[in-house]
Amino acid sequence: MRALAILLLALLAFGCGRGDDRTEIFIQRFFGECGAVYGQSIDVAAAESECGILTTLINRFEAENPDIRVGINVVAWPGYPQLSAQIAAGDPPDLVTMHQSVISDYQGRGLLEPMDGLLREAGIGPETFTAAGRRGVTKSGRTYGMPWDTIGRLFHINTRLMAEAGLMRDGRPVLPRSPEELLDHARRFRQATGKPYLIQAHVNAPDTHVGILYTYLLAQAAVIFPDARHVRLNTPEARRIVELFRRIQAEGLTTRNQDFPAATAAFINGDGGIFPTGTWMIGPYDAEAATPGQPLYRSYAVLPFPHLWGRDAAFVDGHAWVMPRRERTPEQRRALARFLRFLASHNYDWTRTGHLPAFQAVLATPQFRSLPHRSDIAAMAATGAQLPDYVQRQSAIQGLIGEELEAAVTGIKPVERALVDAERRVNELLAQML
Amino acid sequence: MSAAKARGGLSTPALIGVFLGAAVMVAPLVWTLMLSFKSNAELMRDAGTAFSAPYTFENYRSILQGNMVFRWLINSAIVSVGTTIGVLALCSLAGYGFARLDFPFRRSLFVFVLLGLAIPEQAVILPQHQLFAQLGLHNSYPGLILPGLAGPFGVFFMTQYFRAIPRELDEAAMLDGASRFGTFWRVLLPLTLPAQATLGVFTFLASWNSYWWPLISATRSDMFTLTVGLASSQMNYAQTSGLGFLMAQAVFASIPILIVYVIFQKQIVRAMAGAAVR
Repeated sequence: MRALAILLLALLAFGCGRGDDRTEIFIQRFFGECGAVYGQSIDVAAAESECGILTTLINRFEAENPDIRVGINVVAWPGYPQLSAQIAAGDPPDLVTMHQSVISDYQGRGLLEPMDGLLREAGIGPETFTAAGRRGVTKSGRTYGMPWDTIGRLFHINTRLMAEAGLMRDGRPVLPRSPEELLDHARRFRQATGKPYLIQAHVNAPDTHVGILYTYLLAQAAVIFPDARHVRLNTPEARRIVELFRRIQAEGLTTRNQDFPAATAAFINGDGGIFPTGTWMIGPYDAEAATPGQPLYRSYAVLPFPHLWGRDAAFVDGHAWVMPRRERTPEQRRALARFLRFLASHNYDWTRTGHLPAFQAVLATPQFRSLPHRSDIAAMAATGAQLPDYVQRQSAIQGLIGEELEAAVTGIKPVERALVDAERRVNELLAQML
Repeated sequence: MSAAKARGGLSTPALIGVFLGAAVMVAPLVWTLMLSFKSNAELMRDAGTAFSAPYTFENYRSILQGNMVFRWLINSAIVSVGTTIGVLALCSLAGYGFARLDFPFRRSLFVFVLLGLAIPEQAVILPQHQLFAQLGLHNSYPGLILPGLAGPFGVFFMTQYFRAIPRELDEAAMLDGASRFGTFWRVLLPLTLPAQATLGVFTFLASWNSYWWPLISATRSDMFTLTVGLASSQMNYAQTSGLGFLMAQAVFASIPILIVYVIFQKQIVRAMAGAAVR
C-alpha cells in the first residue's frame, strides 16, 4: 500500500513537473474541418481538398518542429465576423487566412501588421511572389500578407459539345476573339447542339456578373475606382460589356433562372457548352471527366476568359496569410517565420486544389505544369489583377453591382439605368465609410 | 360515435385541408432527410435523385468522426440548459414582482422592459461584445449564457400569467402565516408550471438554435456551440459540392430539439392552444 502511494506521488510529481515549454502560435483558418480524416495525417502528397491539404500541412509542420505548438481555430466561412470580434476583444490570432480583396478593410484601419520584416526573416522576398500574388498583398507600398494562391474565373468547357458545334481545332477549344465572334460562336453552338453556349448562374450569384464586368473593364484599361470614394460604372466600356451579355440572354444563348448549384449540375450533365466559374471547380469537374459514363467523361477543358476587348486581363482574388496587430514574443515571431517558410516551401501542394500558385518558382516547375489543365491557365498568375489597394468593402460593393447587373442582363432594367443605379449605390456606400 | 366526431369534429374538406397543410409543412423536412442519405457527388449532378437508391450513411459518419462534434454538443446542452434555468428563475421573479408588488415606477419600468421587445439583437451587439470583452467573458459558458437571460418576452409572459391567478390565493396563504417569498414559492409558483414549461421550451429552442452571438463570442473551437461548430466544418460552396453533408448536419443538429419536443409535446401544444384562445 505504501509503495503504491509512493508510486502515485512520483507519477503526480513527474506529471506536474512536465510543463509544455514549446512556443505556441495560434492560427485561424477557414476551408472547413476534416480532422476525422486528416487529423493525424502528415502525408501531404496523399491529402486531397483544401481542408485535407492544409490540415496535413500543419500536422507535418508540427511533426517537423517539435519545439513549436500550433493552436488551430477553424472558423465558419469566411470567418471575418469572428476575426473582427477577436480584434475588438483584443485577442486576435497570430496568423489568419484572408482573401486578398479583404485585406484593405483591415489594413486601412491599422489592424494588420506589415509583414515585410517577418517575411525577410523567413527568407521570403516579395520578388518570389507571382505578379498577381504580389499585387494582392501589397497595400500602400508595404506587404501585408504572404500570398497563398490566386483564384479567378475561367471558361470551363464541354469539349464534346464544342466539337459537335465545330468549335475545336487540334483537340483544343476555339474561343472567340471579339464580341461579334462570341455571338457567332454561340449561335452556331445553339444550332448544332440545341443547347445554350453559356451556362450562367443568374440567381443569387452577384459575383458571377461582377467577375465578368471587372475582367473586361480591366481588359479595356478602364479606371473603375478613380479614388477610394468613387466608382465609375456608367461608361461606354461598361455598357458594351453588359449589353453583350444582355444580348446573349435575350437570344437564348445562355441558361436562365439558375442559381450556382443548378448551373453546376447543368454543366456536369452536359446541358451547355461553357460555364464561366472559378478555379476552385477544376477538381470536381476533372473528377467527372475521369468517370466513365458521365456526360463530361473525357470532355472537359478549362481556359482563361477569351480576349474580347483590349488586352489579356483577368480579375482575380486570392487567399493570403495575414498577421493581426498584437503583442508577440520574439520566440513567437521566430516560430511564425518558420511556419511561413514551411508553407511557402509547400505552395505546390496547395495548387493541387485547383488554385494557382502564389510563388513564381512553383509556377515554373514541371510538377505544377503536369497537373491537369494548369499549363492552360498559368498565364492568369501574371495577367491577374485586383482592384486598387485603396478600395475597401469590396465584398459589399460586389453585392450591389451584382444585383444591378443581374437586373440588366435578365432584362428587368435597361442597361444604362442599371449601371447608373449601381454607380449611385456604390458611391453612397463609399461615402458612408469612416 | 359519428365519423366526424372520430375525426375530432372535422368535416371531410377540412380534414383534406389539414392534411394538405401538414404535407406542405413536412415536405421540406422529408426532403432534407432524404438528401442527407445521398452522396455529395451524386447530388452535385442532380439533387432530384434524393428519392431513389442508393443511400449512404457516409455523411453522418463524417459528422460523428469529427474531432469536436461531441464537445460542441455538450457546449450547446450546457448553454441551452443554463439559459433556460436562468430565464425561468429571473422571469418568474420579475413576473411576480410586476404582477403582485407595488413599488415606485412599476408601470413605467414594465413599459421599459417591454421596449426591449422592439430592439433587435444586432442593434446592441457592439456594446454588448465590448462589455463582455472588458469582463473577460468571451470563450466561456457565462459569456454564452448571460446575454440570453435578458428576456423581455419571458418577463411579459410570466407577468400576464401571475396576473391571471386570483389574489385571494395570496391572501389566504398570508392569513395562514406564509411570508411573501413563501407565498410566491409554495403557492403561486406551482400554479405557473404550465407557463414555465412553455417558456422553458421556447427558451431552450431559441438558445439551441442561436448562431449570431455564439459565432462572435466563442471564437475558439473548443467553446463553439453545435450550430457554430457545424458551420465551421463546412467548406465554401457546401451547397454545391457538399449538399448531402450539409443536410446531414441540419438533421443531426435538430435531433436534440426533436427529443425535447417529443418529451414536452403536451406542454407545447397546450401553450400554443392557450395562446390562440387568449
